[in-house]
Amino acid sequence: MPIKEAPARTTLAVEALDLTFAYDGHTALDGLSISILTGSLCGLLGPNGSGKSTLLSVLAGLRTPDSGSVAVLGQAPSPALRSRAGILFQETCLDPLMTVRETLFLHGRLYGMPASDIRRRAGEILEAVGLAERARSFVHTLSGGMKRRLELARALLPQPELLLLDEPTTGLDPDSEQALWSHLTAINRQGVTVVLSTNEVGEADRYCDTIAFIHGGRLAAEGSPAELKAGLKHDAVWAEGSFSDAVIEQIRAWPDVGRLVWAPPVLHATVDSAAAFAPRLFQAAGDHISTIRLREATLKDAYFEIVGATLDTAETAV
Amino acid sequence: MTVAARARTGAPSAFAACLAILGRDLRAVARSRSQLYSSLLFPLMLLGVLGNGVSHGLNPSSEHIRNGDYESFLVPGLIVMTALFSSTFSSASYYQDRDTGLLRVMLASPHSPRVILLGKALGGVVIGSLQAMALLAIASLVPGIDLEWQFEVVPGVLLALAAVLLLAVFLNGFAQIMALRIPTMSGFHLVMNLVMFPLLFVSGAFFPLADLPLWLKLLATANPLSYAVDLLHIAIYAPDDGHFGLLIDVLVLGALAPATFLLGIGRRVNLP
Repeated sequence: MPIKEAPARTTLAVEALDLTFAYDGHTALDGLSISILTGSLCGLLGPNGSGKSTLLSVLAGLRTPDSGSVAVLGQAPSPALRSRAGILFQETCLDPLMTVRETLFLHGRLYGMPASDIRRRAGEILEAVGLAERARSFVHTLSGGMKRRLELARALLPQPELLLLDEPTTGLDPDSEQALWSHLTAINRQGVTVVLSTNEVGEADRYCDTIAFIHGGRLAAEGSPAELKAGLKHDAVWAEGSFSDAVIEQIRAWPDVGRLVWAPPVLHATVDSAAAFAPRLFQAAGDHISTIRLREATLKDAYFEIVGATLDTAETAV
Repeated sequence: MTVAARARTGAPSAFAACLAILGRDLRAVARSRSQLYSSLLFPLMLLGVLGNGVSHGLNPSSEHIRNGDYESFLVPGLIVMTALFSSTFSSASYYQDRDTGLLRVMLASPHSPRVILLGKALGGVVIGSLQAMALLAIASLVPGIDLEWQFEVVPGVLLALAAVLLLAVFLNGFAQIMALRIPTMSGFHLVMNLVMFPLLFVSGAFFPLADLPLWLKLLATANPLSYAVDLLHIAIYAPDDGHFGLLIDVLVLGALAPATFLLGIGRRVNLP
């Protein structure tokens, strides 16, 4: 799947070729190659254990791949490169006994910012993320959403050209999640390349201009959400049961069925209309259906169709 | 906040980063009242209770305990003990920073892990030295404590400061080595207590080395803490050149402290 054409963007923020990385006998990256254009808001989608976090660590220079090559902002990852990149880890990484302002000040000093610049930038950013009123508050008094916004503010403090975010919305309530996405899109509009891993398919579809499907430590597909969903029919059907090969072949032959994947016990199909498809499915195999879910097709279905595995599990379909 | 408007942050200075980490650790200790008070109250309590108890209950007759005044004799040893406890606590902050995730953020900054470890270790050195010198200041004001100050007060304080700084550098280097090898904070405290308490007892902190049997004297000679206790004795308590002698004390501590410290900050740190 080609990378989305974006005439305004001609340089690559990230170019990784054939990356491998293994630890404790587990292969986290298995020949992964990916290119991300400067100015993109790129979402890495994949189940837990697919290699997203490891890829972000490699891009940040925190881990060295066993083989392959990688260039970030035109340079090999290194501590020096991190002065141009902001990093947000999946877990909260804040000292609860520091204040919001102290947290930013320490970070700014680590990034070589003069105290006057830190004060000015901290004021601007805290205003932007809605934490200006809490500048003197201790971190342990903040809500989960506020802590995440503080971490985003911290990553943005040194005005990075690239933001690497590992599941930034994990554990947030819907309002906080919405607010965080708004901040991310605003930052991206201002020219910052954003690369994030996420399991929020709907949000990634809505806000990311590029999506990379990661599976088993490899890039399975990359493109805009529209491109990735291009082959999908309007609706998706997930049915669990014990279907015979004959029934599967019968369903596959129906004209309104797009791609059908049979990964026992899950049958996944995209169809023109789930409402029209469901009665016929019950007619053909009603006794064998234990669960059925009908909904509009999303990137989750595109992932399943392309990769042959769900986003919820790292298991590959047979 | 556009990329074009990106402020020039300049090359991050390792010195500024160390100072920032040091400032943060100092603030954390200043806020931890219990740690602050207990680090001084415990040695002062030993000074009052053990010092008076031995002075009056056991009437020590050693010629190395001036006038049988065990309370004054204890001061150098308790300064070493304060630096020891403080260094252990400071190095334990490595675990707190690891568990809160802050260490991860610091290691992900544009500095090598050694710079981050150096900042953490410097924090321990400064905090340990401040607490040890605060104990000396308080002890010297306690009525009944009779310090000799054979080189006069100001040179004596400077020599004591040098001894405390060298000791703190050694202890923080050693604690850093231990912290990077031991995965849990409870394990770290256990090992530190197991190693440091015997070293403290065989250092001359609680009894004069000259009066010990040969095998204990040999152990004391191999114990780095003995040289710090001896140097402090020379600086503030003893009227002579101490057990090992000023030059030997300075040479041993001057060689061991930087070597241990460099080993401590030179160790490989795995990203939490």
